[in-house]
Amino acid sequence: MNRQDMADELDGQVEMLLRSEDCAGAASDPLLKLAAELCVLPNPEFRSRLKDGLVEGWIANCPGAGSRNTHPLKSAKGGATSGVVVQREGVERAQALAGIALLTGKRSGLFPADHRSFVVSFASHAALIALIASGIFVVRNPALKPTSLTSELTYPLAGHGGGGSGDHSAVQVSKGTPPKFSDQQLTPPAIVVRNPEPKLPVEAHVLGPPDIKLPQSNHIGDLISSNIVMPSNGTGGGGGAAGDGFGPGLGSGKGPGVGPGSNGGYGGGPFRPSPSITAPRAIYDPEPEYSDEARRVKHQGVVVLALVVDPQGQARNIRVARSLGMGLDEKAIDAVRKWRFAPGIKDGIPVAVQVNIEVNFRLY
Amino acid sequence: MKALEREPDDRMLIEAAQREHSHFAELYEQNFDRVYAFVARRASGREEAQDLTAEVFHQALASLETFKWQGAPFIAWLYGIAANVLAKHWHKLGRDPEQLAEDWEQGGTDEIERRAMLAELVESLLPDQRTVIVRRFIEQRSIREVAQELGRTEGAIKQLQLRALENLRDKMERRI
Repeated sequence: MNRQDMADELDGQVEMLLRSEDCAGAASDPLLKLAAELCVLPNPEFRSRLKDGLVEGWIANCPGAGSRNTHPLKSAKGGATSGVVVQREGVERAQALAGIALLTGKRSGLFPADHRSFVVSFASHAALIALIASGIFVVRNPALKPTSLTSELTYPLAGHGGGGSGDHSAVQVSKGTPPKFSDQQLTPPAIVVRNPEPKLPVEAHVLGPPDIKLPQSNHIGDLISSNIVMPSNGTGGGGGAAGDGFGPGLGSGKGPGVGPGSNGGYGGGPFRPSPSITAPRAIYDPEPEYSDEARRVKHQGVVVLALVVDPQGQARNIRVARSLGMGLDEKAIDAVRKWRFAPGIKDGIPVAVQVNIEVNFRLY
Repeated sequence: MKALEREPDDRMLIEAAQREHSHFAELYEQNFDRVYAFVARRASGREEAQDLTAEVFHQALASLETFKWQGAPFIAWLYGIAANVLAKHWHKLGRDPEQLAEDWEQGGTDEIERRAMLAELVESLLPDQRTVIVRRFIEQRSIREVAQELGRTEGAIKQLQLRALENLRDKMERRI
């Protein structure tokens, strides 16, 4: 049998292995045994994503973190993998020193005993017994959950985003229409052009969804301004452009968009996920508790929360978009407030993004 | 012996990470493969193993400041967190967490070591061989897809697959 025949035969067996449900099987051939083990190795991307998630989420946001540096893990890549090979003595020593820390296990020596654990355990068991005794424990395993982050791939419509700027003029920005939206802003809008002959003329845009059409005219300005007389770039600052706010946008807001909000888009508020903005991703999502009231009457369902994930990956402005009542809304908010996210990214920069989160409450 | 030599390094790294969380990166890199292997043995698939591994490292980073050096390797602490994460997960699924402890006592360490070593050895393969292994086994793509991606014939990819597996087998034997 030549090499190609061997390779073909092995691939046939590999193919069968990959098609089997658990990609395992009792392979006697050492190569197939290796293949089965390779099937369950982690995806290399997962390894790096998790590291990034730890960096972007916890290290940047954890109140107790020793560092606010957001890129330390990246710099640590490489070199450290040599330590991955664990000597058996090390593991066995760990096993001997440790055991597995299970409350229900016979061996509990993995960590030094912490008396607080026993106090908490005693208190929680006592509370559980009292609950059962009071006859209000309606299910054996009152589970909660699963929580999921749903991100609609829609861009901000009116009412989200915004921006504004100005060149510190004495009068309010002129009334007019904003320039077109674009995904990238190269030149901010200006009503009074300070440099009439630029070396490289570029059409002015405001940052926002290009498919959103605003009223257009020959007069750039703020749609809601009352100044219809005197051309003015507005009283704001930050971009030398047009508006009474701050930043390279147009309007009373802050940022490169239009209107009274911030960051971009039109109106007021943060971004929403879009093809050019990656949605925030939950990287730490502790489960919500079940309220006593809801558990008592076996009330189940989904609470939808609308919130803003800020550039630091924390949930802000949480409000209930779909209520479930019986204290579950509050429990959902409490849980989501503790969540940490990898923030939404636009052009490589973390930005505030509006998302909806569905929190499922189920009794099993 | 090597484990004993590593202890001062472990301790320094842990103390550094407690002072400056950025150093957790090195602890992560050193221990990821073993933690994943530990979890993957008792998980029902890669996705579940990845989720649980992520939970272990998040919990480890969150409670790093409570860690007190008492001579045990850092991996022992991570295994403890992993065991608790698995136990909680099993409890949710209605399985008996006691089996985890039994499994640990019944020589589970050998398999964990083997899998961690395998993960490391994959990284040491030649780039083409590594790509074939990752695409074929981890991403579970067909020979045809891999051949198209690499611009080679299907026969060449099958030979690369054979050579990669043989290399891994030989390296494993040399290590063990």
